[in-house]
Amino acid sequence: MRPLRFLPLLPGLLVAGATLAPPLAAQSGRIAYESFALPNGLRVLYSEDRSAPIVTVDLWYYVGARNERPGRGGFAHLFEHMMFQGSAHVKKSEHFQLIERAGGSLNGSTHDDYTNYYETVPSNRLNLALWLEADRMRSLAITPENLENQRETVKEEKRLRVDNQPYAPTFRNGIIWPYDSTTCFAYAHPGIGSMDDLNAAQLADVQAFFDTYYAPNNATLVVVGDFRTAELRRLVNQYFADIPSHAAPPPVSCASKLSPGTVRREVTDEHANLPAALRFYRLPSHDDPDTPALELLESILGEGESSRLNVGVVRHEQAALQAGLGALGERRGPGVLFAYGIANQGVDVQRLDSLIGAELDSVRSAGVTADELTRAKNQFRAQQVDERETTFGRAELLQHYSLFHSGPADINTDLDRYLAVSAADIRRVARKYLDPANAVIVTVKPGAAATTKTGGSE
Amino acid sequence: MKADRRIGGWAARVLVPATVLLSGYPAIRLSAQAFPTKPPKPTPLSPARFPPFQEVALPNGLQLVIIEHHEQPVVSVTLSFRAGGSYDPAGKEGLSALVAELLTKGTERRTAEQLAATIEGVGGSLSASSGDDFLTVSADALSDQVDLVFDVLGDVVLHATFPASEVELARTRALSALALELSRPASLASRFFASEVYGRNPYGRSATRESYTAVTRDDVTAFAGQRLRPAGALLVVAGDVTAPQVQALVEQAFAGWRGAPPATASPPPAPGKRATDILLIHRPGSAQSNIVLGNTTMRPGDPIYYAGRIATQALGGGADARLFLILREQKGWTYGAYASLHRYRGLGYWQATAEVRTEVTDSALSEMLRQVDRIRTATIPDSELAAVKGFLVGSFPLTIETPSQIASQVANAKLLGLGDDYLRLYRERLSAVTALQARAAAARLYRRSELTIVVVGDAARIGARLQAIAPVRIVDVDGKPLTPADLAPPPAPAGPVALDAAQFAPHTDSSSVMLQGKAVGYTVSDVRRSRDSLLYVERSSLGSGTFEQRTTVLLDPADGSVRQVDQVTTQQGQKAETHLSYAGGRVKGQSAAPQQDGSIKRYDIDTVLPPGTVDENAVPFVVPALPLAAGKAFTLSFFTPSENAQKTLTFKVGAPENVTVAAGTFQAYRIAVTGSRVPFTMYVTTETPRRVVKTEFVGQPFIVELVK
Repeated sequence: MRPLRFLPLLPGLLVAGATLAPPLAAQSGRIAYESFALPNGLRVLYSEDRSAPIVTVDLWYYVGARNERPGRGGFAHLFEHMMFQGSAHVKKSEHFQLIERAGGSLNGSTHDDYTNYYETVPSNRLNLALWLEADRMRSLAITPENLENQRETVKEEKRLRVDNQPYAPTFRNGIIWPYDSTTCFAYAHPGIGSMDDLNAAQLADVQAFFDTYYAPNNATLVVVGDFRTAELRRLVNQYFADIPSHAAPPPVSCASKLSPGTVRREVTDEHANLPAALRFYRLPSHDDPDTPALELLESILGEGESSRLNVGVVRHEQAALQAGLGALGERRGPGVLFAYGIANQGVDVQRLDSLIGAELDSVRSAGVTADELTRAKNQFRAQQVDERETTFGRAELLQHYSLFHSGPADINTDLDRYLAVSAADIRRVARKYLDPANAVIVTVKPGAAATTKTGGSE
Repeated sequence: MKADRRIGGWAARVLVPATVLLSGYPAIRLSAQAFPTKPPKPTPLSPARFPPFQEVALPNGLQLVIIEHHEQPVVSVTLSFRAGGSYDPAGKEGLSALVAELLTKGTERRTAEQLAATIEGVGGSLSASSGDDFLTVSADALSDQVDLVFDVLGDVVLHATFPASEVELARTRALSALALELSRPASLASRFFASEVYGRNPYGRSATRESYTAVTRDDVTAFAGQRLRPAGALLVVAGDVTAPQVQALVEQAFAGWRGAPPATASPPPAPGKRATDILLIHRPGSAQSNIVLGNTTMRPGDPIYYAGRIATQALGGGADARLFLILREQKGWTYGAYASLHRYRGLGYWQATAEVRTEVTDSALSEMLRQVDRIRTATIPDSELAAVKGFLVGSFPLTIETPSQIASQVANAKLLGLGDDYLRLYRERLSAVTALQARAAAARLYRRSELTIVVVGDAARIGARLQAIAPVRIVDVDGKPLTPADLAPPPAPAGPVALDAAQFAPHTDSSSVMLQGKAVGYTVSDVRRSRDSLLYVERSSLGSGTFEQRTTVLLDPADGSVRQVDQVTTQQGQKAETHLSYAGGRVKGQSAAPQQDGSIKRYDIDTVLPPGTVDENAVPFVVPALPLAAGKAFTLSFFTPSENAQKTLTFKVGAPENVTVAAGTFQAYRIAVTGSRVPFTMYVTTETPRRVVKTEFVGQPFIVELVK
C-alpha cells in the first residue's frame, strides 16, 4: 500500500487516502476527494472507497438542451445516442458489450445544462471504462447509418416517454412555457425535440456538435470507488492527456423576468382519463442564494405524505388522486417550479386548480410552521445521506457541485446553507416566486379528441 | 482530421493545478505512453463475498434478519407478510392493496396525519404496499432514529384502526388510480398479459371498478387480522445498527404479538393453452404498439432456473442481448426490447417486451418470435455464453452495494424459499451452465406453440396485419370484445359541402349589435376578391371600444375553403393574436382568446381535422354560400380557435320569411344552428349575393341586425 498523502485542497479540509476509517467520515457526512487537471483542460475529481470492489466512472460534458439552436431541438439528446455507436477502436454496439460482459452497468443522459456518461464496473475493469470514455472523446464514429438508426430510436423514445403517455406532452410543454423562445431559446424548447427537428438533423450537425462541445476542456471526469490513486492518475494521463482541447464553446444567454403576468392555458389530452391541473413558476438559477429556501419550500408544499398539497388537496378536500410539487432547478440559468394534481373522478378541474392555488397562496400569506421547517430540513439531511450511499450517487454529487456551485468543496458545506434557512426566508421566497403573475396555469381535459383520433400517422 | 481541432495556444494557457505537480506522476511523461488501440486487459479481480448477516427465529414464528452495515448512518426495515394480491378473495381484488394503503392511515395512538408527520418529521419514511405474493411494510430513517422507526412500525402493524372515513378515501383514490392505470399503455399491457397467462389463478386477477366497490371495511379488518400475523413473516433490518440493539427493539415493538395466518386452499391452476394467439387491446390514437409475449414457467426452487436465466439474458437481458441489438440497434424500431424471468412463490412466468412504432408492429412481433425460435433451437455460441456469464456473475457485486440492496437480496431468497445456500452459490451455479443446458431450458420454458401475445395499440391500423401472424382477438381497454366493424372511424360530419361560388361576390355588410333594443356596438364585414384571392374581413367593436376584434380569413377563390385566419382582439387594452393556417387536413398555429377574468388563454394548435372543416370565424361567409333551400339540413365540421376545439354544427333551413331590420325588409331563410357553445338562428336573404340580415342567440339578450 502506498503511503498516505495529505493534500491541502481547501482551507480547513484535510483529504485523506485509502485507509481513512469510513464511519467518522460518514457520520460527519463528509466526502473526501482530490482533484487535478490535465494540460488539455480535462478536470478530474476522485474519491476512494474500498468498501466494495466496484468503481464508478462518471464523465460530464457541459452541453445539453440549452446549447441547441432553433430548428435542431432535441439534438443534444440525439447526439448522446451517437456516443454509443462506436469510435476509432470500438465497433458499433461494442461499448455496451464490453461493459456488460465485464459485469458493469452503463448509461448516459441528456439534461438541460449537461450530458453525463457513466459506467459502474467491478474495480478490476476501471481501465476499460476509462479507455472507452477516452476513445469516444478522441474519435467518435460519425456515420450516416448510425445517425439514421439512432434518429429512429430517439423518435421511439419520444413516442414511448411523451407522445403515448397521458399528461407527458402537457408537462413537456408546461416546463418551457414560462420562457420566451426569442429571448431564451435555451429553456423555451423541449429537450426531447420535435419530429420535424429530429428529421432535420444532418450528419454535419453531428460532427460540428462533437467538435464544439465534446472536448476535454468542456468536461469533468469523476471516479469514485475502489481504485488506487496512483493507478487512476496513470490511466487518466495515458488515455486522456493527448486529446486536444478546443476553443471554448459559444456562451448561452437567457433573458427573462419574473412575474410578467398570469397566463392560463387549457389543453386536451387524448390519452388522459382524468383531468389534471398544473402550474409552472419561474425560478432563479441554481446558484442563487434563494435556492435553499426554495427547495425547503418545495418539500413543505409538495413532498411526502405530510406535505401541504397531500394533506390539503388529496386528503381533506379529496380532490386529487395525487398532488405534489417539483422543480427543474439544476440549471445555470432560470429554472421552473411545478405543482400538479391529477383529479379524482368527478372532480371539476377548476376546483382542483383553485385548491392547489390556495395551498400555495397560504404560504405566501401565513408562512410555514416551525415543525414544517424542521421536517423539511430533516428530510433534506436524510436525502443527502441517501444520495451518498452508492459510488454513482457520490460521483454525481461531485459533478453537481462542480458545475452548479462555486466548486466541489460545497459538497461538504451545502447542508449548512439549508440548516440556516428561517421561516421568514421561506415566506419571502414564496411571495417572490409563487406570485400568480409568475405562473403559467394549465388545465388538462381528457380528450374525446376526435380531431386527433381520426388522424393518421405522423 | 484531428489536427484542425487543436487550437493553438489554448493548452499552454491552462493552469496546471498544484495537485498535478505534487502527485509525483507528471502528466507530460506519462502521456507519452501511446493510447492503446485495444481494450485494456482486466487486472486481478478482488473477490466480492456476500456480506454476512444474522438470522434469528423468534418464538412467535417471525423470522428476523439483521444486516449490519456501518458506512452511512441509515437504517431500513422491511416486514413482509404472505398477504399480497393473490390472497384477495375472488370478487374483492384490490383488498390487499387497500389494506396496505390503510395500515399507515391511523392507529389507536396516532391519526394518519400524525403518523406521517412523526416519521417524516425526522426525515424518515413509512409505507406499505401489496405485491402479488407479499404485503410489505417498509420504514427507513437516519440510524439515530431507529427507536422511532420501530415504535411506528410496531404501532401500525399491531394497532392499525382502519377508520371508515379513511377506507372511503382510499377507495376513492383507488378507483381514480385505476382510471389512470387504464390510460397508460404499459399498465394496460401487463394487466391483460397477466389475465391471459394466468386466467382465474390469483396471479391473473386485477382489481376492477366492481371489485374495489365491493370491498367493505369488515373485509379490510378481517384480512389484516387474519393475514398480518408473525408466523411465516419476515423482518429484515439493514444499516448502521447492531444485532443486540435490533433484537431489543423488536422485542419491545412487537411484544405480545402472536398467531399464524390461516392456511389457504391451493389456487386454481393457470389455464392450459392450445395454440399461440394474439390479444389486441384497441387504444385509439396510440402512438406506439406495446408488445408483450410469454407464458408461465416454473416454481421458484426449480433448478432449471440457472440455465433459463442464461438463455433469457442472451435473448433479452440488456443492451448486449439479441432483442435489443436487433430491434433497436439494427432496425431502429424501438427504444428498447427485453426479455425477463419472473419468480413467484407459486408458478412464475417469462416475458419479452417491446414498444414499437405502429407501422412496424407486425414486423417487430415476427422478429421477436424468430429470436425466441432461434434461442430454443440453436446452441448459444461460446463467446456469447461467456459474455452472458460475464455479466450475470460479474455484476453481482453491483447489486449488493447498499444495505437496502443487500436486504432485498436476502429477503427475496428467504421469501421465495430458495434455500440457505442460494446467495452463496448463485454465481457458481450460473457459471456451470453449458450451452446445451441453456438451449434445453429455453426449449422447455418458452412454450413457442402456446405463447400468449398481448399487443396494446391502434387496432384499426394493425389488426389486419397481426392476423397474418396468429389468430387475433380484439378488445377495448375495458376488455370488451370488439369486431372489425367497431374499429371503423366514428361517423364523421358529412364531409365537405360544395359552396355556391356565385355568393362570393364582393360586398360589404354593416350591422349593429343590439342589447335589449339599444345599440352597444357594431360589426362590419367585407367580402373582397381579386383574380386569385378571396378574403373575408370582419371588424367588430363593443362597449365603446372596450372590446375590438379584426378577423381576416383568406379563402380559396375556387371553392371557398379556408386557408388562413388572422385575428387580433383587444380587450381592455390587452391584445391577443391568433394566426392559423389550414393545409393538408391540419390546422397549425397559435390562438389567443381573452377571458372574462381578464386573463388570456393561449393554445399552440396542430390538429388533424375531418375533411371539409371550416374555421368558425368564417361562419358568416360560409352559411350564405351553402346550397340553401327550404327544408334542407347541413352538417359541417368547424374548428373553434378560441377553444382549440373541433365541433360539428348542424344548420336546419326553414321556409323563407319576411324579416325587417334597420336596413329594410328582406325575404330570408331562417336557419337554426346547433352544436356551437350557444345555439343561434341566422336569417339569410334569398337573393344573390345572399346577406346575413339578423342573428339571434338562444337565451342571450344580444341580436345582430343589418344596418346597411
